Amino acid sequence: MEASTRSEDRVARAREALEEVLGPERVLADPLALALYARDASMVEGGCALVALPSSVDEVVACVRVAAEHGLPIVPRGSGTGLAGGATPIGEALVVVTTKMDRILEIRPEDRLAWVEPGVRNLDLANALAPYGFTYAPDPSSQQTCSIGGNVSTNAGGPHCLAYGVTSNHVLAVDLVLPDGTLERLGSEAPEAAGYDLRGAVVGSEGTLGVVVAACVRLTPLPPALRTMLFDFETVEDCAATVSAIIASGVVPAAVEMMDRGIVVAAERFAHAGYPTDAAAILIVEVDGTQGAVEAQSRAVLEAARANRCRSVRVAADETERALIWKGRKSAFGAVAQIAPHYHLHDCVVPRTKLAPVLTGIYAIAERYGLVITNVFHAGDGNLHPLLSFDRRVPGTLERVLRASEEIVRLCVEAGGALSGEHGIGLEKREFMPLVFTAEDLTAQACVRAAFDPEGRMNPHKVLPAGARCGDFAMAFGQDAAEAAARLPEGAWI
Amino acid sequence: MDLIHPHSVPDVVETLREASARRRRLLVAGGRAHIDKGNPCEVDAELWTTMLDELVAYEPAEMVAVVGAGMRVGDLARALGEHGQEWPVDAPPQATVGGVIAAGASSPRRLSVGAVRDTVLEVELVTGDGRLVRSGARTVKNVTGYDVHKLVVGSLGTLGVIVRVALKVRPLPALRRTVRAPGGPEAARGALQAVPLPAGVLALPDEVEIRLEGWPERVKVMQRNWIGRSEGALIRFAIEGLDAELEVFTTRPDTIYGATFMVIAPEHPVLESMARLRPAVEGRGVLEMAAELSAENHRAMLVPPGCAHGFLTLEPDSLVLYFVSAAHDPARERGVRWNDPTFAIAWPFEPRVVSARDRAHPDFAPNFHLAA
Repeated sequence: MEASTRSEDRVARAREALEEVLGPERVLADPLALALYARDASMVEGGCALVALPSSVDEVVACVRVAAEHGLPIVPRGSGTGLAGGATPIGEALVVVTTKMDRILEIRPEDRLAWVEPGVRNLDLANALAPYGFTYAPDPSSQQTCSIGGNVSTNAGGPHCLAYGVTSNHVLAVDLVLPDGTLERLGSEAPEAAGYDLRGAVVGSEGTLGVVVAACVRLTPLPPALRTMLFDFETVEDCAATVSAIIASGVVPAAVEMMDRGIVVAAERFAHAGYPTDAAAILIVEVDGTQGAVEAQSRAVLEAARANRCRSVRVAADETERALIWKGRKSAFGAVAQIAPHYHLHDCVVPRTKLAPVLTGIYAIAERYGLVITNVFHAGDGNLHPLLSFDRRVPGTLERVLRASEEIVRLCVEAGGALSGEHGIGLEKREFMPLVFTAEDLTAQACVRAAFDPEGRMNPHKVLPAGARCGDFAMAFGQDAAEAAARLPEGAWI
Repeated sequence: MDLIHPHSVPDVVETLREASARRRRLLVAGGRAHIDKGNPCEVDAELWTTMLDELVAYEPAEMVAVVGAGMRVGDLARALGEHGQEWPVDAPPQATVGGVIAAGASSPRRLSVGAVRDTVLEVELVTGDGRLVRSGARTVKNVTGYDVHKLVVGSLGTLGVIVRVALKVRPLPALRRTVRAPGGPEAARGALQAVPLPAGVLALPDEVEIRLEGWPERVKVMQRNWIGRSEGALIRFAIEGLDAELEVFTTRPDTIYGATFMVIAPEHPVLESMARLRPAVEGRGVLEMAAELSAENHRAMLVPPGCAHGFLTLEPDSLVLYFVSAAHDPARERGVRWNDPTFAIAWPFEPRVVSARDRAHPDFAPNFHLAA
């Protein structure tokens, strides 16, 4: 590519090349389409030059090759439900949308695995597996909409990850199109492949290492029995203490979800789940396994809740009531629209024994900035989702929200936590990375990225803060290899 | 070949900086349980991690343990076991945590407890050129940055020296059972479908082993489902001198022509009556066993109540540690002489030093020795 080439020409030629492969209807370049694909479910807004909707592996390879040839960065995108700006394009990017690749390729119950295309929606996969007596365990709240490709890219979580583990534990292999257009299979159908776990590096890499074009997922047997219980408390502290008491009693429930009063009121108005709207906080606990295991675990959970002054207990009598209890929880983020038109959602993780003090701290921060804050989160694994509701049209509000957000992040990190439990770093949190990692930690991460994408073309600007570089990979930033090597001690092995 | 035995993380950093600058090749060794994995390579020195065995942080209610990579799996199991928890890898006790991770040595219970890689939350690694790199977090859930720690699992020491890790631990199952049945891979397939949520199903050429664990009721249901589907016979063995029977289920009654010995679970109710029976059968045979314990083989011996025991040291300056399960009461203490004719123990050689008290024990007499 010549430096003097004008950017409009590059985009025009890339568009032409893409239309040749995909046909004009699956290459979008009109202003409305570009605006729609310029953001995901986060607060960040970006921009892009072209949107491509491939429907096969070969077409993805062609898209990536065209982008490479014309020097356009590539932003892979699934359903766009990401909350950290991981799929928000920046600059003259080609957005490669995988939602048209939505076939379940094969289901092999005997091998407990399934091969799926990246655009398959999470809930569609779970529903397709149910007749075989299996499920796909990670269940993000957006599961009706979010895609497996996006789940793989963000290492998505969900309420039931407490007992079953996050996406990485359920992905055996991925087919990845690298930035130069080569197709690689990482991992294998076996439970663990020999050699370096490159699959593990790709899961959660937020589309910065390549485009995931197929995933081999593990099937989890549907439990023979389960029980969903709803507890309510007069104080948030008692509710949080119950979570620690349950874990300390040796029970790992399938899910432990906490909601505070603000979110309970909003969710109840929307879902009519029968939530007690006068409680300070409610706790949804689900235990599963064989009938005997469910009985034993329920007893321990009840004991923990009673010891921490729970006010009442409601046990779902049947599948309909269970679905209703979960409906309130899973639609909570939609329901907050009743509070204010915009929200900013956090995703910090703290040690679960620190839940109560951290929550108290978060309420204090919100009060100091005069913001409405509600909490609905995966309490069992310490994954907080403080949600700031506001109206960004009111001047100065967004600034206050951002300042409060930074304080919340710092509070969680000081409590021994991490920046994100399941949403990812994307654009929103990348500048916070030095809070939890040293320069050397970040260099190592940059090296992993550069090993896959030496020219930095895949989803640039995401995850790593500005300035994080892989010094060992001279190719990465166009330096002369000899010059880079000269900076190392003579003869040192790298 | 040199041995390097660093005491601390800065020691490891220093060692690798120097080794890198001098182009010395190192082999990282933990408990040597997996040392033969990977391609054999020529090295200039071995770096032993076993001094990095600190329990850095462990909050049971958190179910996260942060440990030095040189900690022995057996030591970690003890520390976690005190709080009813485990790191589910089932490696030999002398293996180190770092070694298990570097070898990616998952448990046969992987089906239910997950692979090693799913339990590694954070890794501190010293790279070949002596940089300390941390990846992950000490929380059960985390997607902050690239998972460099995932690459370390199974990397056999080729990416650096694992010096410290945060592990996701779990409650010890309330009950465990192993069921073995004839068959092979086909039977294993059947077991996978018949048994709800097994911890593991291991197929051997002509046998299948099913591991069950969880809550007592759950394990029993699983066991019943499997045994219920097996065809075989329930055989009752009478016990001489006792009004009790031992029930044994077997899928291969055609192979039984008699029984020379039987193994009974320690919690089997018949044991109590058999213990009472012992004085009655005295003189008709005494059960005897011996084992060699050494620092190298890491073995210990559990002497059940009601059994006598003796030690013979095999090397000069041997150190023997023993713990007793009840308070010592001199009035109730009884001893058996090493050369008591009742037992006629075949020691490998005659003991050279025996304390005056132990030399003076009277000959075995049931109404004295068993009366306490």
